This record gives sequence, structure tokens and C-alpha cells, in this order.
Amino acid sequence: MKKLVIIPAYNECGSILQAVDDIRRNAPGFDYIVINDCSTDSTLDVCKKNRLQYVNLPVNLGIGGAVQTGYIYAFRNGYSLAVQFDGDGQHDASYLEEMALKMEQTGSDMVIGSRFIEKEGFQSSGLRRVGIRYFSLLIRLLTGSQVTDPTSGMRMVNRDVMRIYADNYPKDYPEPESVVAVLRMGKKVTEIPVVMKERKEGRSSIGGAKSVYYMIKVTLAILMERLRG
Amino acid sequence: MMTVKLQIVIGVAILMVFGTLVNMIRRRSLELKYALSWMLVLFALLIFDCAPRLLIVVSDFLGIYAPVNMIFFLGFCFSLLIIFSLTVALSRTSGSVRTLAQTAALHEKRLKELEEELEKERQKKE
Repeated sequence: MKKLVIIPAYNECGSILQAVDDIRRNAPGFDYIVINDCSTDSTLDVCKKNRLQYVNLPVNLGIGGAVQTGYIYAFRNGYSLAVQFDGDGQHDASYLEEMALKMEQTGSDMVIGSRFIEKEGFQSSGLRRVGIRYFSLLIRLLTGSQVTDPTSGMRMVNRDVMRIYADNYPKDYPEPESVVAVLRMGKKVTEIPVVMKERKEGRSSIGGAKSVYYMIKVTLAILMERLRG
Repeated sequence: MMTVKLQIVIGVAILMVFGTLVNMIRRRSLELKYALSWMLVLFALLIFDCAPRLLIVVSDFLGIYAPVNMIFFLGFCFSLLIIFSLTVALSRTSGSVRTLAQTAALHEKRLKELEEELEKERQKKE
């Protein structure tokens, strides 16, 4: 069974090698692909020099476009499952096998690594947690499904969902919206507890005035997704 | 009411803008498709400039007291319409840009893989 790790990277020259090493060492059954989203730092050089597997986007598409590139790649190359994995040191590759196992055992279409099931590791800041809980509640009200960590960037999908994402994937802040899209199509989504670290490189794309935009945009996106079907 | 002098000044301005528009389409820096709505505006302005009385007739017909208010109102509505159509066009374009970029990037990756395979084959032969 071919399994792929998708690593979207925007200006992550300092941490991308570590992420790839982590996958090689702790998830040896997985292939990986780095999606360089037209970084302005030396991410591309690092990929070339170390002969990493990478796809180089000629223009900056944002996280959504980059991740979608990975899903298209996975789908076209016959992978039976694909998992998103951040290149900034937040995620731990030793969970990947566990996620794949969970997917097989439960017959799920999507498995999300959740920080909030066992509430261990870096739990994100207080205000952010409130926001995440709000999205979780909103998703439960609209779809009836319990997703404790809808903003988690660590998610594994099978070919069905790959195809859905290859066709349509939100542009910015895609996580909660894309989970709802999958739920709306009657797919099964489960979660496993994971521990995440604080990011080593770079900063969260969300904060300050942007967080207001974030809350409104994602809320509307979720509602729109519900209206689609 | 407008003086003849003002009428001439406005008329010349309109014709100059029209000339610029045509020149831009000629040089292909503006698509005719998007220029059409602007041409329509210029045309309407020119008509009102040549026959200011028409303005009063139309605003009377719409029940607007001052002709100048009608200009403001219609101008505003039209601007909104054009801006809206631009956002629609932009959404469509950004979708195409995304698909293009992804396709190009994936082709580049495939090309690299094929080159490497070719290189391996060649080394095997030698």
C-alpha cells in the first residue's frame, strides 16, 4: 500500500530537513513530498541540495493551494492514503503509522490528529483554544459529528477524500472548512490523540486583526459548505 | 445650467479618455471585453454633454429633483456594477492561476523524474 506524507512549506528552510528526517526515521513506510509554495528564503535550495522529493510551485498559492497540490500528486500517483504534515516542527511523525492503523481498523475516510482528546503537549494559547472549541461546536451543530480539533493540520485521507480535495480545496485557513466538506459528503471522520509541539520556525499565520478575519471567514465558509448540500 | 465652454471642455475630456481606451485596446493592454462597459459610460456622458436638456427630462421622468443627483446616483450604481463584475472575474482568474501553477509544478516534477530514469538507463548501458 502506497502512503504519502504531504509537507507544505513556505519559508521553512530551517526546519524542513528535520521534518523529512523525522518521517524517514519514524514513518519508514511512507513516501513524502515537499510542496515548496514559492518560498522567498532558501527552502528550494535546501530541497535541491539534499535531493529531497519536492514539487516547486512557480507562484505563491497559499497554504490551501499548496496542500491541494500534494493531494493531486498523491491521487495521480496512485497513493492509497495521503497525510498532511507541517514542516515547521509542530508535528511528530511517529503518529503516522498509528493514524494509518486507525484508518484501517475503523474504516474511516479521514483521520485527524487531535490535540484535545487527551489534552497533552502544546495546547495552543487560551484564546485560540476558545476559537477552536467554537468551531468544534459549530461543526457539531451543522453536521452532527464530533470533531475536537477541526484546525489540526495533521490529517490523513483515503483516495475518496483525495479526489474531493483534488477537485476543490479552500484557499486560506482551509482546515475546518475542508473537514465539513468531507462530512457533508457522508464520509467517516475519526480522530486520534496526538501531542504537538510549539513550532520551531516561523509564526502562526493567525493573530491580531487577522484573527477577527479568520473567525468570520471560517464561520462563513463552514456555513456555506453546509448550504452546498 | 452648463455653459457652452464647460460643455466643450467636458466633451474634449471624454474624447481624450475614449482615445486612450482605444489605444490601450489596440496595444492589447486592455481587453475589449472589459473596456466595453467603460465605453458605454463614455458614450452616455457624451450624449448628456451634447444635450444637457435631456438630463432634466430623464431626471423628471425618474422623479429625481436635481439632475446632478441623478448623475451621482447612476454613476454610483454603475461603478458598483463594474467593481462587482471585476471581483467575479478575479475569482475566476485566481482559480485558473491556481490550476495552472499546480499543473506546471507537477509537470516539472514528472520531468525531473523522467530525466533521472533516463540517466539511470544510460548508466546501465555503459
